[in-house]
Amino acid sequence: MNTAPRTSVKVAYAIAGGALLIVLTQLIGTFELAGRAWPPLADVLSYVLTPTGAGLLVRNSLVTFTSAAQGFALGSAVAVLGAALALVVPMFRPGLDRFAAILHAVPTIALAPLLITTVGREDAPAVIAALSVGFVMFVTMASGFANTGSAQHDLFTVFGSNRARRLVRLELPRAVPAFFDGLALGAPAAVLGATIGEWFGAPMGLGLVIVSAMQNYQMSLLWAAALAATAMSLLAYLIFVQLQRIAMRRFT
Amino acid sequence: MSTIATLPAIAADPTEPATRTAVSVIGADKIFTLGRGKKLQALAEVDLEIAEGEFVAIIGPSGCGKSTVLRLAAGLDEPTNGRVEIFGAEPRQLARQHRLGVAFQEHALLPWASVRSNIALPFKVAGRPVDDARVDGLIDLVGLTGFEKARPKQLSGGMRQRVSIARALALSPDLLLLDEPFGALDAVTRRRMNAELARIWGEEKITTILVTHDVDEALILADRVIVMTGRPGHVRTVKTVDFPRPRDAEITRSSEFHALVDELTCLLDASDGAAA
Ligand SMILES: Nc1ncnc2c1ncn2[C@@H]1O[C@H](COP(=O)(O)OP(=O)(O)O)[C@@H](O)[C@H]1O
Ligand SMILES: [Mg+2]
Repeated sequence: MNTAPRTSVKVAYAIAGGALLIVLTQLIGTFELAGRAWPPLADVLSYVLTPTGAGLLVRNSLVTFTSAAQGFALGSAVAVLGAALALVVPMFRPGLDRFAAILHAVPTIALAPLLITTVGREDAPAVIAALSVGFVMFVTMASGFANTGSAQHDLFTVFGSNRARRLVRLELPRAVPAFFDGLALGAPAAVLGATIGEWFGAPMGLGLVIVSAMQNYQMSLLWAAALAATAMSLLAYLIFVQLQRIAMRRFT
Repeated sequence: MSTIATLPAIAADPTEPATRTAVSVIGADKIFTLGRGKKLQALAEVDLEIAEGEFVAIIGPSGCGKSTVLRLAAGLDEPTNGRVEIFGAEPRQLARQHRLGVAFQEHALLPWASVRSNIALPFKVAGRPVDDARVDGLIDLVGLTGFEKARPKQLSGGMRQRVSIARALALSPDLLLLDEPFGALDAVTRRRMNAELARIWGEEKITTILVTHDVDEALILADRVIVMTGRPGHVRTVKTVDFPRPRDAEITRSSEFHALVDELTCLLDASDGAAA
């Protein structure tokens, strides 16, 4: 009851902020305050609504979405397994931590040639997405697993739990909120990773559209593609944040 | 180290055949390292001998090492010096065989599991099929019928403690360790739980160590009461309580009972003073 007015205030703020942003982008474009590379928002949207524009964006968004989703799934799975391995075999922990940090520290640009020769142009976006998601997920899960309620740990010890049952009945359920945290943080990273991965010669995708629109000075198309990527990443984030809230309620 | 431990009299009842020793703590010191070279001696030369089937209560001011004694008996900690044996073996053995029941001071329930699953946890941890009738019986015993599906955060502090006690009893353990299990209960529920615990103990004769700060509770339940003093913690006195069982209201109103309550309360106050 008493949270209702607060929620409505929040929603009002969000709407006001969004409206302000839209008006500003439109004005900056109209008066060319940021040069001719910043078209008015209305131009971008009207391009999105033309049949050619819409078709192009939908087709390429689907490609990027597929790569991002594959990378998201792969990266999350490998990271969860890695973090679980570091938990069960503490000897591996420092090595895995360092490995994740090194992978993360290597710039994507430096990885690109390597990936193109190994996995190919089509799959490079998914792999780059997986690498970005994997790091975020590994760090989140490692801290989720490290969050040892020592009383619960003692409880399993006095009831004579073996390692496997401690993992399944205590450590995994306790890390569920962290897992959804990782998904929420990883989703935008996956979209970004896939888009950047497409810069290196992918046959299709929003990343390719961005590069070619830039080279051909098609500003409306460039912004439309950027907008599509942003929308995708924001939507994924919002969905996983909701799931994270549910997990938080259910598991704590 | 300089403290001379009072040796507790072993419950030597000449009319009974010699019973097995369930718990023996021999000259146990516990020194915690606090970092930056600081140390804290929690226990000094603690000696305890508890016979199988005996109910022992430990009372003492807060911080005198009661929980530490229980942790030693549970095999969660090891004494710095001295020895702890449970049924003639090292304490961890008992836990590994799923013969130990513990209710911790901080109930340690799993927040994602229902009351029912929390109580059934020891079965799952032991890899045994859950005995539904036993779990239902325990839920009824601790007065939580109707709350089977509730999760810990929906319960009051006292209800959580009761779940934790039911969980400790789930596998009918050979040794039951209870660390201030009734602390969050109101007086009425507390007495009811005392009576229930006395009844269970009467039926199953589980060797029990109960840590409490309630002198009445100790005298209603225990065969012997161990009074501890702090800094460093050691056993000050051991009192044998030989009121007949069941110890109903008539006994708790008797002048002998009150005399013993007063005596132990005095000892507690004195040990409090010694600790300060
Ligand atoms: N893990 C620990 N590390 C450091 N000090 C501890 C630890 N556990 C207990 N202590 C200290 O040992 C003393 C006895 O603690 P405890 O056994 O919990 O007392 P009680 O249960 O009688 O209140 C206290 O001074 C406490 O601060
Ligand atoms: Mg304590």
